[in-house]
Amino acid sequence: MAYAEVAMTDTDETQTAVDASKLPIYVDCVTKQYLGGAFTAIDNVTCAMEENQITAIIGPSGCGKTTLLRQIAGLEYPSYGRILRDGEVIHGPGPDRGMVFQTYTAFPWLTTLQNAEYAMKINGVPAAERRERAMEHLRLVHLDGFKDYYPNSLSGGMRQRVAIARALGQDPRVLLMDEPFGALDAQVRWEMEELTVEIEERTRKTIILVTHDIQQAIYVADRIIFLTRNPGRIKADMKLEFKEGRRFLKKEELITHPGYAETEAQLYGMMREEIEKIRGGE
Amino acid sequence: MSDTVVSGPALAGREVRHEDGPRGAPFTPPKQGFLALKSHYSRKTLGTLALLGALSLFLAWEIGAHSVPEAKEKFFPAVEQVLAALFQLFAEKEFIYDVGMSCLRIYLAYIVAMSVALPLAIGMGSFENLRATLNPTLSALRYLPAASFIPLLLVWFGPTDTSKVLLLFLGVVWFLVAGMLADVRSVSHELVESALTMGARRKTVVFNVILPAAGPQLMTSARDLTAVAWTYLVIAEVIGAQSGIGAVMMRAGRFLNVDVIIAGILTIGILGVLTDTVFRLGHRMLFPWAR
Ligand SMILES: Nc1ncnc2c1ncn2[C@@H]1O[C@H](COP(=O)(O)OP(=O)(O)OP(=O)(O)O)[C@@H](O)[C@H]1O
Ligand SMILES: [Mg+2]
Repeated sequence: MAYAEVAMTDTDETQTAVDASKLPIYVDCVTKQYLGGAFTAIDNVTCAMEENQITAIIGPSGCGKTTLLRQIAGLEYPSYGRILRDGEVIHGPGPDRGMVFQTYTAFPWLTTLQNAEYAMKINGVPAAERRERAMEHLRLVHLDGFKDYYPNSLSGGMRQRVAIARALGQDPRVLLMDEPFGALDAQVRWEMEELTVEIEERTRKTIILVTHDIQQAIYVADRIIFLTRNPGRIKADMKLEFKEGRRFLKKEELITHPGYAETEAQLYGMMREEIEKIRGGE
Repeated sequence: MSDTVVSGPALAGREVRHEDGPRGAPFTPPKQGFLALKSHYSRKTLGTLALLGALSLFLAWEIGAHSVPEAKEKFFPAVEQVLAALFQLFAEKEFIYDVGMSCLRIYLAYIVAMSVALPLAIGMGSFENLRATLNPTLSALRYLPAASFIPLLLVWFGPTDTSKVLLLFLGVVWFLVAGMLADVRSVSHELVESALTMGARRKTVVFNVILPAAGPQLMTSARDLTAVAWTYLVIAEVIGAQSGIGAVMMRAGRFLNVDVIIAGILTIGILGVLTDTVFRLGHRMLFPWAR
């Protein structure tokens, strides 16, 4: 099998060479329960995310992807276990972890440029410097020509790019994205996927991308964590070996790459297994 | 004739050239009736329609006034009689002073009510604990009719301006709180959370995210309640006032000067529309980003 059944145990290198608890993100035996313990959304999940790596979290709807990501962001707390950021326990949200939401969260009362500057402004970056860096980020997301527009006069894809530029402004160690392109149509989504790869190539951040979309996960990510539903556990933690450590700036280049079709089929198979399990259980 | 464009299967696979071909005739859209669904009319048309609507009210009034028997004419004056009375009020009775007094009372009460309601709404909308503590009590206050405070206010303050402004204040403040609280609470949770993930502190979130996000809605709520304030103004001035539009109307009533009474009603209507317009313009200037 190309993927391990249990996280972090397949490759010797993760066990011996790297101390996982010192990585940018280390999810340490996290369980998240709701309804006073009656419902377990995340069940004893352990995993770590490395620098300069895009990790996609996929799984059937309701498996706890958002729950896991929000705990990393510090917007919710684990019931058991803990999450470390570079060895420090996370006790709440902070500018070291930027987040892009599925809904449009660009501040409607600020222009594109003011949005891109916002995180720097509240964190005390001097005006001249933040203007310069904001413009740099707007160029990266191809919005420099729209710097004086308000979000209400931008398209959905453009608003999401404002949100990405704004998150880059806080220069986060980790960039969290919860189905950031879910509300966009296929062509815009495709552009945004390529943009995400480009951003990673330029900034080398730790990116965690939650998605429903198998093709998106394979194209954007370097590694895929597959969660099962009810309870949410790691079904598979696969490094996308067939990419040979490369990232592709154009999606069609990857799709024709040998090994792509097999990986896709494998992930669809896993998704099918989960769906059938849910049906059987209900 | 390679320039001519023909339709049909004969063209399949061949290049279709539009730019050199014959132009289509001007298209005539189907005629629309008065009650067409989803139509877009020019500002001019819409303005004309609004004017027509207003004029037809005055026309109905005029017809009504002229169809009452002569003996009862005094009780139903025609438009021109009311306008004459209004002119006389301003020219001879220093009506502008009364209008000024009424405006002063209403705007003073409104500003006080806003400065109580806005902090309460923002505090309760941002902090669950504050809301749990205060909101049940404040909601109950809304069910106490402001008019029922009139005897109390008269005992405490007499027929003074203080009691009038307080009555106006009581008439709007709890409704302002309720409306504005709903506005603050409808601010999207993700906006707040994204500010938190950027490292925003509590003060920044409240004043820099929640307040501007709720801004346009807050202003609309404030505007909607000015109409209620005018209602209480007349009640306040009808009971023992020397000055103000309501007092003038009340005095006219004693002498059966119906034309003056209607002139007063008309004045209040005009002032209401003016206030509304000022709010609208302010909204557009303060929140250019809100559509
Ligand atoms: N505040 C809450 N109270 C109770 N149950 C919750 C709460 N938040 C999430 N859940 C439950 O936890 C489970 C995981 O939810 P989560 O939103 O993380 O799923 P997801 O994987 O992101 O799903 P989707 O792909 O549909 O977004 C769901 O069954 C959900 O009903
Ligand atoms: Mg989700």
